Amino acid sequence: MHKYIAKLEEKLQHNVKYTQFSFELIKPQHLEFQAGQYVSLKVSNKGERRSYSICSTPDNQHQFDLILDLSPGGLGSQFLQQLEFGEEVEVLAPMGQFLVPEDLPADHLVFVATGSGIAPFKAMIEDQLRNKQDQRQITLHWGMRHPEDLFWLDEWEKLDETFINFHFHPVLSQAPPAWTLCRGRVIDCLSIHARPANAAYFLCGNQTMIADVSRLLIGQGVGKELILTEKFY
Amino acid sequence: MSTQTKQIGKYKVEVIRDKCISAASCVAIAPKVFALDEAEIAIIVSQDGHDDETKLLAAQSCPTMAVIVTNTETGERVWPPQGED
Repeated sequence: MHKYIAKLEEKLQHNVKYTQFSFELIKPQHLEFQAGQYVSLKVSNKGERRSYSICSTPDNQHQFDLILDLSPGGLGSQFLQQLEFGEEVEVLAPMGQFLVPEDLPADHLVFVATGSGIAPFKAMIEDQLRNKQDQRQITLHWGMRHPEDLFWLDEWEKLDETFINFHFHPVLSQAPPAWTLCRGRVIDCLSIHARPANAAYFLCGNQTMIADVSRLLIGQGVGKELILTEKFY
Repeated sequence: MSTQTKQIGKYKVEVIRDKCISAASCVAIAPKVFALDEAEIAIIVSQDGHDDETKLLAAQSCPTMAVIVTNTETGERVWPPQGED
């Protein structure tokens, strides 16, 4: 882990809640990280820091992307919202051990996210499929409230079309009548779909989801070593 | 035979257990100073595992300001700033 200076290169507002921030590294200009890791951003002059998962893939070492739900309006959200293009930030990176282990004894990787918990999975799934040519089955269950909250749909659909081993299941807790896919919480979605044999699970999102899904999986006989988690708070 | 202990730096860190939400950012930054216990609450494993700057960064990374940093030479509280805990 090292200190970096990066500057804001691009802000992409996906919808009223979620905005993606792209940072270009200034000093040093290269960041070596693994998909699933996060950065710690200095978000106030006093020195307060906030952690955010990197959602871009590690093959681009000159920049990194973050996705934030700005609606809670916390310290980090306010800082990033007010950040101007070209303004510099101080970053500690890379951090965290939420990775796809190379020696993971699983034939199927199941990713379960709620909200912006999708961030590390964007990097991990793209890295497994595109960079590592992982031939194993990879399934993503992503829980949101409303259809308008969803983003990166084109990217997920493109991955779904390009890689026959990738399967995308968005699930909405407040789905409109016209919604034809999964409804309810992600745990409901997991219960509907048959549990794959010899699967490893990656859970990222709010603490309640992680606790509930972990309990479900352990109750179904999944070994604790095959459940990897990252709490967002 | 006398023994000597070597202290790295002058900052002492403490964790307010009731404030810890298991974010583990302190552990990620200073793993030789902080760890999570069985209840996933941050604990101090050593005051000397990292230098003062790293200990302060670890404290500043805590989203709930559960880590207090004190300058042992002056007794001054370094983090969180007075009135912000």
